[in-house]
Amino acid sequence: MPFAKKPQVFNASINELTIGTGDKAVTLGGQNVYNLYTFDAPIANRPKVGLEISDNGCDIPAALFAGVDCPVERAKKAAALDCVDFLCIRFDGADPNGENKSVEECVELAKKIADTVDKPLVIAGCKNIEKDSELFTKMSEALQGKNILILSAKEENYKGVAASAGLAYGQKVGAESAVDINLAKQLNVLITQMGVNGKNVAMNVGSAAAGYGFEYVASTMERVKAAALGQNDAALQMPIVTPVGAEAWSVKEAMASAEDMPEWGDQETRGIAMEVETAAACLAYGSDAVILKHPSSAETIARLIAALM
Amino acid sequence: MAKFITIGERIHCISPAIREAMNTMNPEPILKRAKEQLDAGATYLDVNIGPAESNGPQLMQWAVKLLQENFDNVPLALDTANKAAIEAGIAVYNRAKGKPIVNSADAGDRISNIDLAAANDAIVIALCSAEGIAADNDERMMHCQNMLERGLGLGMEAEDLWFDPLFLVVKGMQDKQMDVLEAIKMFSDMGLNTTGGLSNNSNGMPKHIRPIMDSALVAMCMMQGLTSAIVNPCDTRLMETIKSCDIFKNNTLYADSYLEI
Repeated sequence: MPFAKKPQVFNASINELTIGTGDKAVTLGGQNVYNLYTFDAPIANRPKVGLEISDNGCDIPAALFAGVDCPVERAKKAAALDCVDFLCIRFDGADPNGENKSVEECVELAKKIADTVDKPLVIAGCKNIEKDSELFTKMSEALQGKNILILSAKEENYKGVAASAGLAYGQKVGAESAVDINLAKQLNVLITQMGVNGKNVAMNVGSAAAGYGFEYVASTMERVKAAALGQNDAALQMPIVTPVGAEAWSVKEAMASAEDMPEWGDQETRGIAMEVETAAACLAYGSDAVILKHPSSAETIARLIAALM
Repeated sequence: MAKFITIGERIHCISPAIREAMNTMNPEPILKRAKEQLDAGATYLDVNIGPAESNGPQLMQWAVKLLQENFDNVPLALDTANKAAIEAGIAVYNRAKGKPIVNSADAGDRISNIDLAAANDAIVIALCSAEGIAADNDERMMHCQNMLERGLGLGMEAEDLWFDPLFLVVKGMQDKQMDVLEAIKMFSDMGLNTTGGLSNNSNGMPKHIRPIMDSALVAMCMMQGLTSAIVNPCDTRLMETIKSCDIFKNNTLYADSYLEI
């Protein structure tokens, strides 16, 4: 009997979410099949690749950014890469327990970058809940019309972040949960109950470097997509944006120097490998965009995506 | 598994306000009842226009257009003994949110409503009785087979026949309740979709008892595999029970606000 192929196409789809403006705007999601399953149905919007720039110095070995202290210059270099769809500016320096840069200073930098590069911007905070809430409000206001994505609203501060970014200033809101599928859904429900259109929300359902509890990330992403597509769950149809670089470059395989671990070989090569492995797995399980730190990782992942589409 | 489908039963010509609205083609009372039911979480709305012998087709078209235009093409169950009215309703029906449901066929003299559904690419509620209530599950399953074969023979997909075991009133037929539940399990084991007028069980009971009986029964039915029911979605206890059972069945993903969505 001949093999009859039965495509697994769903009657539901992931929301389309556009960030940025003009020619360089990028659209995430939109598919009515599992991630990368182009053999089931065409996928209009391939997964996207973002490169992360810190407002502090570059903390990874990458030739492109070596000796470039100015974040605007680094952003320019990153945006010039064809493999990069959008930039993520992470304001590590805003951390009250670190450099404690003022919100005004951070906003000034973001405006400069927004005026310099034409690729879409994602704004990430310093992980201090109070400071981030203030930072995101002012960023959303200052970059009105740039259609940025704010990463992110969490359980502790979603009200303020969603009200400013999502309602007052018309930006896109990232909803962040830490590998907790029920909370991922709950946050989306709460944010939409505030009046934010679910079509303007992206999810960061959490990440972990490959080998560091990644199986929980994988099963969370898988379950989110299964509910979104198979059960037509509108509270989970938001595209997933996963900051991979920050996780991958914080484990010993990526951080240990070649002097400390000569048998592991070159540190840069190891870090890129960790980042590429993690990002590829995220894309397979559910991420509609990954945010990376090393330009070579971005190049590799962009090639992988192109080959699979 | 798909979420349990609720068909709101409150647009029914037996209600004086709705009958009056249908007689005078007054949109307001009908829109109000539709909104209440949709806000309460109904998926489909049943539109019962009664026998409507004089103006059935015209009345059904008016009601279908009225509801779909005002509520984003809400999917509807067209409920009348007047076949011409059902066909007229389907002719103006928008399928964006789901196929129309023909309510209903049985294995007796209403079996040709299956033909009507097949000819119009509609879902049909297939009541497993012919002349009077089925005596036992052997008879229910015989009716089920007959209607299934008829539908398949006319090119329908099995999933578009929603089998109704015929819910029986507890006061008077208490000893038959487990038969109904067993029948649902048999339909479910065959992979068939199921529905029915669940609140029939509590007919004649005091008003404050009915939601309790209906909720207990819907939970037992969902355990047996019931996929849909014709209910009053404004019954909060019932809807909370359905949503909770959907969680246990893994039909929906749990979130703390699951009762609100």
